[in-house]
Amino acid sequence: MKNKIKVFRAMHDLTQEDLAQTIGVTRQTILAIEKGKYVPSLDLAFRIARHFQVTLEEVFTYED
Amino acid sequence: MKKNTFYLLAGCIALILLAIFWYSVEIHNPLLIEFAFVIGIACAYFARTRVTDLIDDERSAKITEQAVLRTFQVFWVGFCALSIGAVMQILYVPQFPREFLLRRSPELLSPRMMGYFQLGLLCLMIFLYVGFRMYYARKYGEWEIDEE
Repeated sequence: MKNKIKVFRAMHDLTQEDLAQTIGVTRQTILAIEKGKYVPSLDLAFRIARHFQVTLEEVFTYED
Repeated sequence: MKKNTFYLLAGCIALILLAIFWYSVEIHNPLLIEFAFVIGIACAYFARTRVTDLIDDERSAKITEQAVLRTFQVFWVGFCALSIGAVMQILYVPQFPREFLLRRSPELLSPRMMGYFQLGLLCLMIFLYVGFRMYYARKYGEWEIDEE
């Protein structure tokens, strides 16, 4: 699973800590998702996408 | 309550429990430490519900879940194998005519020692859990270095 969280964060001028606090997770979780170490739940993925006001597919891309 | 206050409180509870443990050893009263342990853990759980900072989220919950699952998957096999052996020894009934001592399978541990050994295994389970927890924490990027 690839994601563009880092890109969207840069576009919105947000730090990992800012995003983490808004979404309700730890900064380490945002870092782990960005690096592809952790695949978020559907609920968390939607919360991230909704925060950036984009669709889920724009943030996350599924790869075989 | 802040997260650090909770950790401080948990440390204090642990120290108090240690002191009570040695006191109950001194006065030969195991009931004291048993009750103190239950009350101490209940206090820690209650304090945890009062923490306003975020301690864990779905990733840390997953780390804990995976570590617990793997610990039990490994532990129960070893523990049950030993326990079955213990039951076999306890159920041993001498047959008639009595066999020669040499033909009887050797007794590895007496039933009493077997109990102590099982208790030791239970303590080792904590180390197994810590090991698995560290493995999954690393797998899910707990100690990743920030590139921001």
